[in-house]
Amino acid sequence: MNVALTLSDFPDRLSPMVVKELRQGLRTRLFGGVLLTLHLMLVLLTLLSGGAENTAVVSGWFDGIITLVLCIIMPLRGFSAVADELKSGTLDMLALTRLSAGRIIFGKWAAIASQSLLLMLSILPYVVARFVFGGLDLFGEIAALFYKWLAGVVIAAVIVALSTQRQFWLRALVVFLPLMIGGCGAFSFIVMSRMGTSTPSGSMFYFFTKSGGGTAPLLAVVMAAWAIFFFLSLAATRIAPTASLLSVIKRSVHLLMIFALLLLGWLTSAGVASMAALVVSVLPLLMMDALTERVNEVPSVYAAFYQRGCLGRAAMWLLAPGWVTGLVYSALLVALAVGCVGWTRSVEEAKLVVVSAAGVWMIAALVQLFSTRRSRDLLPPFIIFWLLVNVVIAMLGSLLVMPVAMRSTTAKFTSLLPQLFPLGYATAQPADKAALLDLGVLTACIWPMVLLIAAVLAWRHARPARQEGWRMIHCQKGGTAV
Amino acid sequence: MPSSVSNSAPAHEMDRSQPAVVVEDLHRTFGALKAVDGVSFSIDHGRVVGFVGANGAGKTTTMRIMATLDSPGSGRVCMGGHNVVHHPAKVRRLLGWMPDSFGTYEHMTVLEYLDFYARALGFKGADRLRRIQEVMDFTDLTPLADRMSNKMSKGQTQRLCLGRALLHDPQILILDEPAAGLDPKARVELKNLIRILAQEGKTILISSHILSELGEMCDSLLFIDKGRIVHHGDAESMVRGTATAGETLVNVQIAGEPAKLIEWALTAPLIKIEEETKRGARLRIQAADDDTLSGVLRRMIQDGLPVLDYHREERRLEDAFIDMLGQIDNNTFKAPQPPAGLPQKNAEDVK
Repeated sequence: MNVALTLSDFPDRLSPMVVKELRQGLRTRLFGGVLLTLHLMLVLLTLLSGGAENTAVVSGWFDGIITLVLCIIMPLRGFSAVADELKSGTLDMLALTRLSAGRIIFGKWAAIASQSLLLMLSILPYVVARFVFGGLDLFGEIAALFYKWLAGVVIAAVIVALSTQRQFWLRALVVFLPLMIGGCGAFSFIVMSRMGTSTPSGSMFYFFTKSGGGTAPLLAVVMAAWAIFFFLSLAATRIAPTASLLSVIKRSVHLLMIFALLLLGWLTSAGVASMAALVVSVLPLLMMDALTERVNEVPSVYAAFYQRGCLGRAAMWLLAPGWVTGLVYSALLVALAVGCVGWTRSVEEAKLVVVSAAGVWMIAALVQLFSTRRSRDLLPPFIIFWLLVNVVIAMLGSLLVMPVAMRSTTAKFTSLLPQLFPLGYATAQPADKAALLDLGVLTACIWPMVLLIAAVLAWRHARPARQEGWRMIHCQKGGTAV
Repeated sequence: MPSSVSNSAPAHEMDRSQPAVVVEDLHRTFGALKAVDGVSFSIDHGRVVGFVGANGAGKTTTMRIMATLDSPGSGRVCMGGHNVVHHPAKVRRLLGWMPDSFGTYEHMTVLEYLDFYARALGFKGADRLRRIQEVMDFTDLTPLADRMSNKMSKGQTQRLCLGRALLHDPQILILDEPAAGLDPKARVELKNLIRILAQEGKTILISSHILSELGEMCDSLLFIDKGRIVHHGDAESMVRGTATAGETLVNVQIAGEPAKLIEWALTAPLIKIEEETKRGARLRIQAADDDTLSGVLRRMIQDGLPVLDYHREERRLEDAFIDMLGQIDNNTFKAPQPPAGLPQKNAEDVK
């Protein structure tokens, strides 16, 4: 047989994972079925759009079908992308190749993104046809199609990241629960509901729709790229070898992105205040990532920092893998956000940011207090606690707050739980607001303190690894054997 | 089938001044379970070592740590002179890993499967195609090139997995139960492949439940029980080490019903029935000298047993292994000294 002829379908420069996923993906019945069904429906709708009287209805169907395919069906193809590899043991075999964890995850996502792109491009002729028959705004339609694809690939990144969790029920819960209650992703739902209520103009949705001016399209692309990087790097961390230093790259990129956004806001009409609100919106996710990394006990990880002298040692406190340094990193992020919001908006909103951040620290503290210490991955317990606290307790809590608010009094008990606080604050009497806010900030500080105590203990536990790392560098420099 | 699968490309970086594999005081626990409890051994370059132990003895955990797929709780593991924890990437270039259970991919042919791994291992262009062809020829997969990789027999899948493990021409091979579930023909084919690889000077650690095959293939055997190495040596030393002094196994076949022999053996002094066979029995005689053994045969004939065959059995590795486990349970097993030449900690540890 001619091996060269058979294997000439993809060039060498393409990532091996992308080649594999495309070879497999394009052969699945789902892709073929979706492609055929989509085109059949679009042909019908395009023919129907000739009549002016039903243009709005047809447009609705047209948009709905495309959104369903690009934003739900295609991204859901990544639902078991990594979990299947974990279960069948093929991920172990992949790990032994030269593919890094990042490239494996990227390949999984890129295959879905490129298949979505193929679908999107195949839809373009219908858009043109509708422009010809129905006189629609061609540029607007193409832009809308692009944004749908963009949203779809971001959702695909979220789902691929989730697929690193072996537990089917957990993945299903995070994906389908928000769908059932009207959101489009658990975290976006929680971020929107939490940050949206605490800082009314602070949600991403608000930003892209009501402000941002001419930079909004560019920002949408930049934010999508950042979100994709965030979720894919989160996933890569979950499958990477213990000696990897992914946290250095992740945390550095996130910090750079924050500074870049603030700079962009300062330089353009968008303004630093809007960008600060944007940063606050993504803060919970960045904190979650940093606070769910297991403390690393591999000496060579610390040796990499010791090798770079004083600067490296200082960077270790912020960038070394593990939730202990993640706590320091999250504190820095919160300080940055508080500073920006306090400077550009108001002290009151800055205090609200502190309470919101404490909500994330609270979940991390619960994970440390109640989940098993031997658990290799802290993300599943974090997600479970997050869902429990945010969805269940916050919903039940609101039932307690409402009667108090209806009696025109202030629900002071909401200051005990950061997740409930925004609701209590929103319904508080104007005269009580300042005192309630101070009380909320004060009680919120309990959670970072709890985490700090746990962090000191965990850091001490990893001391032998750090000492060994230091010895590795010291001996190499001295040229002596251990 | 060609006699070689070695790559023409230069061998990967490997420190030949040290043993190919060094495992020192390795521990690994899962919750309260001590999966590996102070395992130490070393394997020289070009040796084929069998890894034997009951299910749950700690074989797979040890092998996974050696393959950089799990982290040791404590202890040191070096492959080709590189620490598996500190330098997993270097170790992986030297290593071919064949797990005990693994999945293949849907919608992917054998050729595409090997192509994917060849790409993932950094092969490009004509070099990649040549290497795939070499490996397919070696593992006799060329006729199956267009077959879907998830639609093959167990033996074919094992050959595919071995082919994948050989793509980058690794110097050390870790094969976890490669013969499990194979029919006799596939087992012989696999054994032949491993023999060729051993002749090429590759260091091979192979775990199996089929001890007789391991005895034939391996230069030495490592026995692990409850997370501890209980024996490291060749098959003969194992058989000798666990043999009960002054006992001999004799296989007897008679004409007619074997019940006569059983009846006779039950009343005879110094004789125990080890196992009834189709035409006789295996007897354990409480003596090892030739006079006593020939005396037993003489008495059988004198008592009217129509003896067709009477021969002394060589002790089997399986028997030795089972005896050893029994002796461990009874606390009568004398643990052998660790093999000589175990390297001490040195600067290589921190490479």
